[in-house]
Amino acid sequence: MAQTTAADDPILRERFERDVLPLLPSLYAAALRMTRNPADAEDVVQDTYLRAYRGFAGFQEGTNLKAWLYRILTNSYINTYRKKQREPQTVEGPDDLDEWYLYDRLGGRNVELSAETEVLDRIPDQAVKDALESLPENFRLPVLLADVEGFSYKEIADIMDTPIGTVMSRLHRGRKALQKALWDTAKERGLVDDDDA
Amino acid sequence: MTTPDCGPNCEETLNEIESFLDGEVDVTMHEQIQVHLSDCNPCMQRAEFRRHVKVVIRAKCTGDDVPAALEHRIRALLAEPPAAP
Repeated sequence: MAQTTAADDPILRERFERDVLPLLPSLYAAALRMTRNPADAEDVVQDTYLRAYRGFAGFQEGTNLKAWLYRILTNSYINTYRKKQREPQTVEGPDDLDEWYLYDRLGGRNVELSAETEVLDRIPDQAVKDALESLPENFRLPVLLADVEGFSYKEIADIMDTPIGTVMSRLHRGRKALQKALWDTAKERGLVDDDDA
Repeated sequence: MTTPDCGPNCEETLNEIESFLDGEVDVTMHEQIQVHLSDCNPCMQRAEFRRHVKVVIRAKCTGDDVPAALEHRIRALLAEPPAAP
């Protein structure tokens, strides 16, 4: 007999609707950050739902559903979408940046902390998304999974099928690059004085 | 109330701050860092700043509107049996 799928089993189907459908907005947002393109994000999300639906009988209830879905999403992105693009896989990262790049520039000296954080609050959402999307993929994915989705290092290692030490170092370097991108966008928008040359 | 010589210093604290904010340090380290932060305003400011960066990224990188057509296609998936494997 063929393997049971969510389509054959009303209870599974109901559970899929109840638990997996509500994650569509966050999966779609993550796909947008991965592909940086709405049409490709739609393809990746649709493929993810198809794979998840077919494989849902094999998912153990009570284990980490969100991580399971993000693993499928990440694989779908890597397998189907990345093949199409010529983007070279960046291994080297922005190593020359200081970890406190943004803090040091936004004040950190005598200014009240609230003044520094207000600058970040004033950067428009789309500009922060663009800053994240400007990172090379190897750094973008760990930052997305950790800072936007809130996954643990171990979960990210499982999702990306990457050793945990690699996750940590890419996350660290990705965050440094993101801080620089945020500074650049704040400067372009005149939210900060350009006097750090 | 300070605990000199038994907690991590500034450099050690800042080295671990990223893992600390990610909730990835063990209980002992977590406690040591908290003690240091409560005594050391410069480190506390840095920690709070980095925490805020995380909050901002999380808040601003979500909320994209899902295209109605995509949601429709995914709901349609549930209405039909999947193609034979």
